Amino acid sequence: MSPPGFEGAAPLGVSTALLIKLRLRRLHNQMRAASQRKKKKDNDPKKAGEQATARRTGNPGKQGSNVVLYVFMPMMLFVFGSITRNAVFNLHETLDPGHFWRTVEFAAPFVVGLAFLLLVMWLSSLLLTIASGELAKPDWDLEWLVTLPIRAHTLLWARILERSVVNPTGFMALAPACTIIAWYSGHRWMAPVLGLMAAWPLLLLAALFRTLLDTGLRLRMSAAQLRNLHAVISVLAIVGMYLAMSLGMAGKATFMLGIAATMPDWLRWTPMGLAVLALNERDGLHACFLWAALAALTYAIVWLGIQWLHHQLRHGVVSGGGRDTARGAAAVAAPGSVPAVVPDAAPNYWSRIGAVQRRELTLLSRDRNFLVQCLVIPLLIVGGQLLLGSSGVATTMWHEPNVLASVAFGLAAYSLSMSAFQTLNTEGHALWLLYTFPRPIEAVLKDKAKLWSVLTLAYPLAMFCAGLFLMPQVGWKFATAAVTAFLGIPIYSFIAVALGVFGSNPLEQQQNQKVKPEYVYLYMGLAGLYIYAIVTPNVFQRIVFMVLSLLLAFALWQKARDRLPYLLDADVAPPARVSTSDGLIAAMVFFVVQGIVVAIGGLSGATILVAFSIAGAFTYSMMRYVYARARTEGVPRIVGERPQPLIGVIMGLAAAALGVVYLFLVRDTPLMDEAQRANNAYSQLGLWVLPLALIAAPIFEEFIFRGLIFGGLQRSFGLWPAALASAAVFACLHPPISMLPVFGLGLATAIAYARTGSLLAPMLAHATYNACVIGAQLLFK
Amino acid sequence: MIECQGLTRRYGDFTALKPLDLTVARGEMFGFLGPNGAGKTTTIRMLMGILVPSGGRALISGLDCQTQRAEVQRHVGYLPDNPMFYDFLRGREILQFVAEMHGLPRSEAAERTARMLAEFGLADVVDEFAVNYSMGMKKKLGLACALIHDPDVLILDEPINGLDPRAAREVQDRLTQAAASGKTIFMSTHLLDMAERVCTRVGIVHRGELVTTGTLAELRERVVPGGSLEEVFLRVTDEEVAPEAATT
Repeated sequence: MSPPGFEGAAPLGVSTALLIKLRLRRLHNQMRAASQRKKKKDNDPKKAGEQATARRTGNPGKQGSNVVLYVFMPMMLFVFGSITRNAVFNLHETLDPGHFWRTVEFAAPFVVGLAFLLLVMWLSSLLLTIASGELAKPDWDLEWLVTLPIRAHTLLWARILERSVVNPTGFMALAPACTIIAWYSGHRWMAPVLGLMAAWPLLLLAALFRTLLDTGLRLRMSAAQLRNLHAVISVLAIVGMYLAMSLGMAGKATFMLGIAATMPDWLRWTPMGLAVLALNERDGLHACFLWAALAALTYAIVWLGIQWLHHQLRHGVVSGGGRDTARGAAAVAAPGSVPAVVPDAAPNYWSRIGAVQRRELTLLSRDRNFLVQCLVIPLLIVGGQLLLGSSGVATTMWHEPNVLASVAFGLAAYSLSMSAFQTLNTEGHALWLLYTFPRPIEAVLKDKAKLWSVLTLAYPLAMFCAGLFLMPQVGWKFATAAVTAFLGIPIYSFIAVALGVFGSNPLEQQQNQKVKPEYVYLYMGLAGLYIYAIVTPNVFQRIVFMVLSLLLAFALWQKARDRLPYLLDADVAPPARVSTSDGLIAAMVFFVVQGIVVAIGGLSGATILVAFSIAGAFTYSMMRYVYARARTEGVPRIVGERPQPLIGVIMGLAAAALGVVYLFLVRDTPLMDEAQRANNAYSQLGLWVLPLALIAAPIFEEFIFRGLIFGGLQRSFGLWPAALASAAVFACLHPPISMLPVFGLGLATAIAYARTGSLLAPMLAHATYNACVIGAQLLFK
Repeated sequence: MIECQGLTRRYGDFTALKPLDLTVARGEMFGFLGPNGAGKTTTIRMLMGILVPSGGRALISGLDCQTQRAEVQRHVGYLPDNPMFYDFLRGREILQFVAEMHGLPRSEAAERTARMLAEFGLADVVDEFAVNYSMGMKKKLGLACALIHDPDVLILDEPINGLDPRAAREVQDRLTQAAASGKTIFMSTHLLDMAERVCTRVGIVHRGELVTTGTLAELRERVVPGGSLEEVFLRVTDEEVAPEAATT
């Protein structure tokens, strides 16, 4: 007797609803898991006397994913909205010039143009979604779902419905566009609602085509073909994205507008065109008719698609033998006599490359997807940015060596973010193998970093060779720009690998969760900072920044090394601690912001002082915010257990005494001109000097240089080396005249911090020093 | 040879492995038995330095598995319960890579690779990408990776699990051969007949705790006189009886 209620398949509506609920619940659980770890950390500091190792502190990085959602979503919506708005305006100018068009019925060519716009957005979002997923492997849950007693029909409908709802790229591409069209058709407050109503059928179509490709095609094509297809789609997706965006840019849209003008009239009867017409229609009855037509057409297309899919899947959802195979290649190469032993007569240079690097190169040559991602996509993206960017960088590149060097470095850095940053992800599930080798994992990662820095040098090399030919004059400037760019690449390769240790998730199944976005942004931000070093005309600043980057690479590498034993131990990672690398990043940001403010405001003494304060305030708030979010331990406190302000004052006076003596000695030298400028600054700023020099500067700078840099170094190196190093870094960031006394101040404040363990004493020392120096300079006037 | 001194592992409030004290002498073939979820794989991963112990430590040849991991791996060959290999690499290439990473020069690595692959019966699939292998072939390849550098200690997580009878027998024979030549073998399994046949000593874990350990004869005497290992195991890991009551 068959079990009660099991007549065969579950009814369509019920199963669809269940499947969608399942997906949404999974999504909900994912987001809750991320925020629950945050809540758990709330209780931890309150528990006294519990062993740190026994506490499951959770993975601090995972919290950040919510930030991406809540901060970047509105931003992206806004960005897409303005792009489409410009596109709409551009289209109108080209296709229907001169007529009044807002809130009235659009002219026919304009409707065709808008339909074209929607088509382009639809197509590029579809390509992007496919490119960012895995084409060659079936969806992780499909194999399991087909064993449930639901008909394939239901499964497919549910899959398409679910994909139409959970499609962030498509949503960004279509919803703002439809809303804008609705807005300019005269619907005011109803515009977002109508926009969503129009976008949803288009999203359904996108989901249909996506399913057609990844479930239907997968059965027909071999894995190798699918991977090639995926690589091609990745390339097309980027190109398509830029073409779509170019519609919205003034002056760059001519190409796409030309195409829009040639679009045939029947485009109006496609779902995109119907959506435009429906949004535009003000008359109630006509509007209902158009909405119904849109719904009917969409349903018809989806129905047809599902029939075809059903036909494709009639023999089963997952076909056998869908993996890349090496047999074909072997058979072609040497039938029957493939040598099992690698011939010893390999060229000598090949043997210099280590086993890890050879394996990496083999992977690169065989996995075309990886190759395209690392080497082709960066070229496309940077190329697209150049062509679409408004600053005309594409032309000045060939006149200004600094600009050329920045573009070359940017390209290399982007390529590194795809390759070196992902070194752990390329290990994937085979990461356990690394643990069985008698080599420290750190050594393996170093090999990889070296390999990628060599490979990525190819781009800047090519660009600079081209520059040699194309530039009007090749001289000292060219050489320094080239050297700065070339030296930056190995440094950033190591930085990328070190950050990748934190930012990647090698055991993760889903493609888009393999990388933690905030670490990518951090890496990109740091690379951007380096570009400042390339373009700055001041040689001294350039060198200082390069040295800072080098130090940062070391510091990050050290931090990553601490994390390496926990790679496969995801639940018990040590809690985030303040480290030297944080201090160095803060110092770099400080340096750059200060440089930028000075560049804007001119080189007077007043600007320098203000720049210091602004840079300090910005860096301080940024670090505090990041630490608060990540609940880092060991954040330097202002008032600790033994404040002892007197020590601070004493050290400050000592440093000030040194400073005054120095000023006295230097009185007759040309360096005094700078001091004169400082004097003018004080008279310009008037009373503002006092709070800036006595309150703002000490607070911010002490936090960064003593709290973070000195504190981090002290943990690894001991008091005196750390004090000297941190004082040196501190001194380098000041104008040349004050470097020596500032070095002394750095030492004094470091001692004060070490003695008291809190920031109050160093801050007082710094304030005292500043007061004395200002007073002395005023006296000397 | 292998020593666990109070080795512990906690996940938050949950204790996956209670403090474990265990010694495996040189040349022994030690079977680490237990029901699913008892903590066998956790112990093995801590021995390999993949997991960090919450307390205590593990030593192999007197070297700490966590802090001196790289040095330890010279003497150790490891086979995980579900070996996964790199995409896009042939079995032959993977084995050669492993050999070279263990410090063998290229020509010797190539020669050893060819020999081991022939011995393990993988000669006709060497040129296929390793990810396409069946479970049995993957285990064989994993075992080859574990043996290629001729280690003193073998740590195997469920070596026979998923193999067909012939392959299982071949692997068992290899392991016995290796033990006879003086290697120490630490093996976790839940296949009791193989453990009975092959192991010199066994330890049984239950719910994270090492409940009993000793040679087969000792265990039988202690727990179920005249009974088989299966009866001993079932008695010892009985859910209703408190673990301490099962041992003397």
